[in-house]
Parts: sequence; structure tokens; C-alpha cells
Amino acid sequence: MIVTYNWLKEYVDFSLTPDELSHRLTMAGLEVDFMEKQGEGLDSVIVARLQSVEPHPEADRLTLCQVDTGNGVVQIVCGARNHRTGDLVALAQVGSVLPGNFKIKKSKIRGVVSLGMLCSEKELGLAEESEGILILPADLELGTPVFAALGLKDVHYELGLTPNRADCLSVIGVAREVAGMANAPLRLPEPVVTEAGAPIESLTSITIDEPELCPRYTARLITGVKIGPSPRWLVERLEAIGLRSINNVVDVTNYVLMELGHPLHAFDFNLLRGKKIVVRRAQDGDVFTTLDSQERQLNSTDLTICDGEGAVALAGIMGGENSEIQPETTDVLLESAYFDPLTIRRTSKRLGIHTDSSHRFERGADVDIVTLALDRATALIHELAGGEVAKGRIDVYPASLPQRQVTLRPKRCAEILGLDLPESRIDELLRGISLPVKKVTQDGEGLLQVTIPRYRHDLEREIDLVEEVARLNGYDAIPVTMPVSQALCQRAPKQQRQVRQLRDTVVAAGFSEVVNYSFIAMSSWDRLALAADDVRRKTVKVLNPLTEEQAVMRTTLLPSLLETVARNLAYRSRDLRLFELRPVFLPQEGEELPVEKLRLTAALCGRRDPDGWAQSREMVDFFDAKGMVEAILSSFLVEKVNWSIEVDEPYLHPGKSALLKTRKRVIGTVGELHPQVQANFEIDAPLYLIDLDLEALFAESKEFGGFRPLSRFPDVYRDTALLVDEGVSAAHIFSVFEKSRSREVEEMILFDLYRGDKLPEGKKSLAIRVRYRSPEKTLTDDEISRFHGRIVDALCKQLQAEVR
Amino acid sequence: MKARLQEMLDTARTAIAVAASEIQLQDLRVSLLGKKGTLTAIMKGMGQLTAEERPLIGALANEVKSELETLIGMRRQELSDEEIASRLEREKIDVTLPGRGTIRGSKHPITLVTEEITEIFTSLGFGVEEGPEVEKDFYNFEALNIPKDHPARDMQDTFYISDDVVLRTHTSPVQIRTMLRQPPPVRVIAPGTVYRRDSDITHSPMFHQVEGFLVDRNITFGDLKGILTTFITQFFGEKVGVRFRPSFFPFTEPSAEVDIACVICGGKGCRVCKNSGWLEILGSGMIDPEVFKSVDYDASAYSGFAFGMGLERVAMLKYGVNDLRLFFENDLRFLRQF
Repeated sequence: MIVTYNWLKEYVDFSLTPDELSHRLTMAGLEVDFMEKQGEGLDSVIVARLQSVEPHPEADRLTLCQVDTGNGVVQIVCGARNHRTGDLVALAQVGSVLPGNFKIKKSKIRGVVSLGMLCSEKELGLAEESEGILILPADLELGTPVFAALGLKDVHYELGLTPNRADCLSVIGVAREVAGMANAPLRLPEPVVTEAGAPIESLTSITIDEPELCPRYTARLITGVKIGPSPRWLVERLEAIGLRSINNVVDVTNYVLMELGHPLHAFDFNLLRGKKIVVRRAQDGDVFTTLDSQERQLNSTDLTICDGEGAVALAGIMGGENSEIQPETTDVLLESAYFDPLTIRRTSKRLGIHTDSSHRFERGADVDIVTLALDRATALIHELAGGEVAKGRIDVYPASLPQRQVTLRPKRCAEILGLDLPESRIDELLRGISLPVKKVTQDGEGLLQVTIPRYRHDLEREIDLVEEVARLNGYDAIPVTMPVSQALCQRAPKQQRQVRQLRDTVVAAGFSEVVNYSFIAMSSWDRLALAADDVRRKTVKVLNPLTEEQAVMRTTLLPSLLETVARNLAYRSRDLRLFELRPVFLPQEGEELPVEKLRLTAALCGRRDPDGWAQSREMVDFFDAKGMVEAILSSFLVEKVNWSIEVDEPYLHPGKSALLKTRKRVIGTVGELHPQVQANFEIDAPLYLIDLDLEALFAESKEFGGFRPLSRFPDVYRDTALLVDEGVSAAHIFSVFEKSRSREVEEMILFDLYRGDKLPEGKKSLAIRVRYRSPEKTLTDDEISRFHGRIVDALCKQLQAEVR
Repeated sequence: MKARLQEMLDTARTAIAVAASEIQLQDLRVSLLGKKGTLTAIMKGMGQLTAEERPLIGALANEVKSELETLIGMRRQELSDEEIASRLEREKIDVTLPGRGTIRGSKHPITLVTEEITEIFTSLGFGVEEGPEVEKDFYNFEALNIPKDHPARDMQDTFYISDDVVLRTHTSPVQIRTMLRQPPPVRVIAPGTVYRRDSDITHSPMFHQVEGFLVDRNITFGDLKGILTTFITQFFGEKVGVRFRPSFFPFTEPSAEVDIACVICGGKGCRVCKNSGWLEILGSGMIDPEVFKSVDYDASAYSGFAFGMGLERVAMLKYGVNDLRLFFENDLRFLRQF
């Protein structure tokens, strides 16, 4: 909604400066999104008369003008061709600064002094393009600033209105607020309609078939009008608020719409079949062409304005092509009606038609202003387009709409706001914006009974009036206090603390967190090589996605992470450690909402260490990924895990992947990305992936079990290298070890793995270091040899290992 | 004998002084003071001395021995000092070479602001709640006083999963879920991911919000101003200007938009604040009685306020990030800076 400073002044006297007004409007809840001061700083551009226009002595294309400023004559060199002696022109005097920071200085042009510039519309910021200089109307006073003389010195305010304030979708509505600020009365227009000829009832008729949907319909008839261009003041007013002039009749309806906020419609009366209006529902399957030449499929929830045969307008939204005002129109039936907001909104939304009219009706127009709007428009059309106004107006208003009374308790107001305003102040504030207030007493308490005008659809309850009081008195005036509230222990729930601990662990290991959209393309599943019956293909689908790339909710974080990796590799970041910790969405049979399960998905590739003279140049591999997971397990005290090779993920390298599980749960997978999937995502480096189910991880996590006393006795370790078959896994060794160890074993480390020429074909060497320590005594050599011998014997026997 | 002792002492002094290593010194000690050393050899002549001479020579021999011990000890210390000094010299490195690095990880800026905001509100006694991102229309709209066909639904373009299920358009449904679960008093914030069907330079279809609300007896609009002003000064600094101005949200009444003085221009007016000098960062208000009705709270006994803010926006202002899209491109060069 755009209003201007000067336009507001027509309805209310106020002394706020343009800047003060902007601030006050914003602080009253009518936010000024944009303010433009037209003609600001251009007071030195004045109206002047061309006393003489002669050729420049040194240049064919220039003219030498003597210009009368009303206060002397100055000489100007001008390059335009459209000016004649006697014309009034816009003279930018020396010292003026035109839009674009164009400074006007005294200059010499081809040897002749020029004391200013004659301006074009473009140079004054009045038009995008212009030809020649601006020739002003002949009736302006010499020496006056051009913008003021033209009535263009004004300030435009673009308001970002909230949807509850439909009452401010008009200049009058905003003026009502300004009246409250200025403590001045609001002046509504008082149109005088000069009627002649036959009574309107003898010429046409109005029938409302659906009084619920159209509670009120009024009309006037103007015959013998002459459609033509609008006068300058009207064109300028409409342009000021961003509307294009069409013709005098249509312009008047638009003007009244902006002035009073009430949408009107003008029909060409001679195109109305049967010369009558019937307001009724459309029938399912009706097709109607609106005046934008679009065919609309209607149904019985739509309200139409019909003539004797069929629809001529989509009520409150848009007129029909069949009854539109034409250049040759002579008789105009003017409609001013009130429609049910919900009906207008449904139709407008379903058909995707949003107009100035539908915008107001669906938010709630003013049923009481329809006759004023009708008369205002009729008087203006009569004035601008001539013709004859039929006697009287038709006003079909079968049942008056209810009017609300809302009671405000000043005490309640103080309780909510924390600011105790006297009753008289509240009364003054509400009256200021034309809310009629009556003081009543109930049970000894003074109350304010407010009759809510029908244009304030947002004022229904006491709390709504509390807001009005707070708003009008100013939020600044409410004291800043701290709540007095019961103490509650609000420690973060366990899962939130676990998530934080996990994120900290992963970040400490050098991983950077990414955030990807929760929705992805359906094609991701094929790129990930998921089987046709993979459960992850069952997704929550978005009905109205913005693009196919955002069509379904993620059931795994992998595809987005792989895309992130590919993008970073393309940006030449080669050493990546990325993770995402967010939910996936798993639809549940028979449930409305999916289950949202947190996962941690991480990817790493490139060098293990940052670049540098003292750094390792090794590349990361599977064991970096596994080590990361082990760090997490250790942070959450998860014990007794099993790294199984029975992993069945189509996107992982079958020989370089593992399934992490405990006796009860699968926690996740670790592995190298399958070369085919790597190609699908255009990733050009080996990539290692971690994908964990956090519900399972957290369920397996333990609280710290408590401190173990430290042994005061020395430790002893023994190293043994074992030659085993290639097929013997480390897990085999660990399992045999666990069964044969004595309780004096403090730790066992697999510290070397060797394959090579020195070993027989098909064999590898694994070296273990076992550390022994007793809490009670110093172990003797014999004891240690016995403990260690038992382990080595078991390994040799059960794994056919040989000691090297 | 006296002369021999004196001579030995003189010779030994020179020998100790030129001994070049610990080993030489050790050898010297053995040859001078050892069982088969010079001193022992000289002392073998003690038998030929007179009873008067013997104690004198004995004392002299002890003196010589003690002096030699001292000299050897001093020389040993000297040698050891020299050895350490030379080793230290040898071991000198170029300390201006860069250190051995480890890869530093980073939290996403949205996580960082979430954690900071959470910390501030936790210290003010607020708990932290979460709720589903795929949400029922009832919690996201209906219970928040936004019925179907209400123009307020236009404020938030919605992604639908079905007629009754949406991607939540704000974190406010957590208010409803929390209040349905527990009676007042409640004092909770709810950070989370939200979705709106809008995508351009300044809108992302997925973004983050933190919701907060407090319900108890006698909570006023002044208390709302108090809590939010405290939060803003903690988060943006003590000096930042704050203003509350009227606005509209279907689930609060009175409603307030909270602005801070533009952190870019300091309030003078610039492109970021559209020349207004102010930046909108929070929506807030007193919880509407209609909302209390839908969660079965007694609006005559309790009152409360609620607020919500966009985390991308506050992160942009706090860190000076000038492009919303950077948060979701996940360029490592961006992520690493946090």
C-alpha cells in the first residue's frame, strides 16, 4: 500500500514532518518499507519563461536563451529543440544538484556564459525517458519551485501492512491512524451527487440469491457518459501509487478504491442482458472469461455477478470481458457491494487470481462504506465523464451485519502490559482512531465498552483492544522488567547432551560440519545403486516441491554428502573431512508422521595430515575412518562391538567395508565408496564413509563406571610375531586372545603387520605386544612366561600360527 | 718426600687443566690417586721417615690428595658444562619453521549460533525442547490460531506432505506440543529446522529458527521486553540499540517485531538496513488466548510471551556473512572459518 504525505493531508490536519510521520507510522505498526521524497533538494529548480530563443553564435545545434526567472533575466545555453519563445520551462539554477548527483555550475559553452540548465523530465527524475526539455503549463507562477508548482513535491510511503490491518488498505484508513497521532479529526469526503431523469429502480434491478455470500449490493446508473482520458490530477494521483491510467471511468473506480479502500466495479450497462443483476453461485462446469481474457473454470463455491443470462463478473475479484467498459460505452452501472471474505479467498486462491479487489475483500472490507464509495465514484464520474445520474441508488441489504461490542478492563490492560494507564488515557487513545467508547461500571470496576466499527475485523476480543492501547500509546513506554517466575530445573535432556558430545568429538578429530537440505531428488537412489526393494526408497514425498531436486525427504544423508564432496573437490579442496549430523525421515505404515532418526554421516579423502614441511604425505584409508568411529565408541564407552564383514551396502566397496554392531543393535557402517557410485557422483578420489545410527549408538553408550585403582607394581611386556595364513583375520586373533588371557594382562596391541618376500606364499606376520601387570605384586619372570606361553600356545593351536 | 709431593702436585695441576674429556680425567685420577697411582707410590716411602716427619708428611699428602680431588671435580664440572654448551649449540633448530599441524574441524555457523543462543537462554532458566520437522497441520497452524483459509497462511508458503501434514513452517508447533504435555509454568526454547516454499537470494526453502516462550502467573509485556533485551545485549553486545514495534502474528497479541540498530552502519542508514537504521531480528508477543485455549491453559490465571528468530539472519549479522546461500553450499573454505 502506497500513501503520500499530501494525499493524507486532504483528510487530516497534522504537523508531523515527513520523517516524523514515517517513524510514527512504523512505531504504530504500519511499517514504512520505503520512503521517497519527490523533489527533495530541488527547490532551486524554478518556473521560468523563455524571453527569447536565438541560435548560438558558435554552434548550430545550440540555442541561446534569455530566461525570465520572475526576479531578473539570466542567459542559458540549451541544446534542446522543442522550446519556443514564451514557453514556461524548468530552470535549474546554478548550485542545484539534480538526481544522480548532477551539479549545475556556471559554465561557458562555446565561448558563451550559461547560468544554469533547462531541464527535461528525465533530468528531474520524473520519467525514465524524455525527449526535449520539459515545457510547463502556462498558468504557473514564475520563480516558484517547479515541484511545488506542479503539486509534485510530495513524499511517498510504501507500507508493509500486516494481514490483520485491512482497514489501512486505503488512504482514509492510514489517515485515520494519523488523526489519532495528531489528535485531530478525520475528514471523510462528502460527495454531492446531482441526479436527474428516471428513478434507477425503473431502469434496472438487483437480486441477491446468496445473501450469506453477498450481504449487501448497491448500485447507481449513469447514462450518456463520454469515456475519455482522465485529467492530470487524477493521472498523477494514480501514478503516485503505482497505477496506470486507463480511462476516466475506470480511473475513478481505482481512485475511490485507493482513497476509501472499497473496490467498485463499472459495467457497460448496455452489455448487461436483461438489464439486471443477479448475485448467485456459479454452477459446476461453468466457463467464464474474465477481462484479462483468461477462461476460468468455475464451480458452485464461486460467487458470480450475473445479468439476465449468465455471469458478467467474478464477484469481488474481477469483471468479465463481456461487460467491460469500452471506449464507446455510454451507460455505466456502478457496483459497490460487500462480499464474504472466505468465499472471495477460496475462489481467488483456487483460480490463482489476486487483484486489488480480492486482496481487500478477502481480508474484510467495510460494509458501511459501500454507499459513500458508490456516491463518491458516481459524483466523480459525473464530473469527469458527464452524462446523467439516474435518481436514487439501489441498496439491497437484507440483514444488517452484526456489530461487535467489546469490553476492556483497564486493570486487565495493566496486567498484560505491565503498564498502568489511567482510564482517561485509554479512552483518549481509542477515540483518537475513531473507536466509539462508552464508560460503564460493573461490580464497582470501571470498564470501557467499545463499539467496533465494521472495518476493524481484527478487533474481536478484549486482548485485541489491549494491543490497540499498547500500540497507540507506544511500545517504548512499556517498562523493561524481568519476569518473576518459579525456578525450574531445566537441564538439557540426555539426548541433546549426547548430540553435543558427539559433535564435539567429531569436530575435535578434524571434521567440518555441513548442513544440506532435508529434501533430495528421487534419482539419488539410483545414483547410490540402491536395490529396487531397498527400504530407503520408501520416502516422505513433498506434494508441492520447488524443483525435482527437492522432491523427497532424505532417508539417508549420503547422497547430499556425496554431492557436497564432489562440489568441494571441484573447488579444489582435496583433503576433506566432512560430516553431517541431522535427522532422516522414515515413513511408517499407518502413521501420519514419519519417524525422524538422527544419523551421523561423515566422509574423508585426501591426505591424512595438513600440507607442510614436517607433515606426513600419506593418504587416508579405511582405517582412518574406522579409527574415527573407534574414537566415538570410546567417547561413549561402547564396549563389545563387532566389526562384521557381512555388510550389504551396494554403495560400498565389498572388500573394504564393515558393519558395526553389538549383540543387540546395528550401529552403522564404515567403508570405501564403491567405484561405480564414486563415478555416479563424479568424485575423482577414493572416499571413505562413516554412517551411524545415533539412536543405536546412544542406546549402547554407558555412563562412566567409575575409577579403577592404579597398580603400584611395575609392568612387563612381551612381544611375539606370529606367522599365520592370509585368511586369518585380526578378529580371530583377538577372539583367541580373549579366551586365553589371564587377568594380569593390562593391554594387548597389534603393533605390526608384515607381508612380503621373506615370508612363505600365502602367509602374513602379525606382531602382538602384551603388557602384564598385577595390582597386588611384582610379577616374576616365570609367571609372565607362563601367562604369555598360554596365549601363544592357544594362538598356535587354534589358528595354526607359528612363532617367528 | 715433600719435594716429590710438591712436584706431583704441580705436574698433576697441569695435567688436570688440559684433560680434554671425562675419560682422560678418570684415567688421570686413577694414575694419581689410585691404588697403583703416584700418590700411593710416594707414600710407600713413609716408612723411612722419622716419627716427627711422618705426621707432617701425612698431613701434606692428605692436603695434596684433597686438592687434587677438588681440581678433578672442578675440571669435571667444567668439561660437563662445555659438553652441554656444545651440545646445545649443535642442537640449535630454526624455530621459525611452521609447527607440525593437525587438521582443525569446525562446527557449522548455524550450530554455533544455536549453541550460543541456547547457552544464553539456559542461563536465564529456559529449558530446551525439540519437535518433529514433518508436522501435523494442527500443531503448525490450527492450534496456533491460523485456521485453514486464513489470510495469515499467505505469510508462510508451505510445503505439503498431505492435506494434514506439512513441513513445519516455523518452530512454533513445539510451543503447542510442550504446553499440551506439561502444565504451566513453562520456560522453554526450541531451536530447529523449518521450511518455506520460497527460494531466491534472500530466501532458502530450508532454514533454522529458535522459538522461545514463557508462561506463568503475572507475566507481562514488560517481561517480554526484559528477557529479549537481555538476550540481545548478550548476543550482539551491550551497546546495540533495541526497539520494539507493533506487528501481527496470529498466535500472539499484542505482537511485536524487535529491531536492533543496524550493525553495519550503526544506525545511520545503509543498504543492509534499507536506510532505516534498523534491522528486524525477532518476532514476538504475548501468547494469544486462543492458543491457550487450544492447549487447555487457563488464560485468566496465566499469561506468557513467545518469540522466534531466524538463525541464518542472526548468524549473517553476527559474522558479517553477506550471502544466505553460503550456509547451504558447504564450501570448505567457508566452513573452516568458523
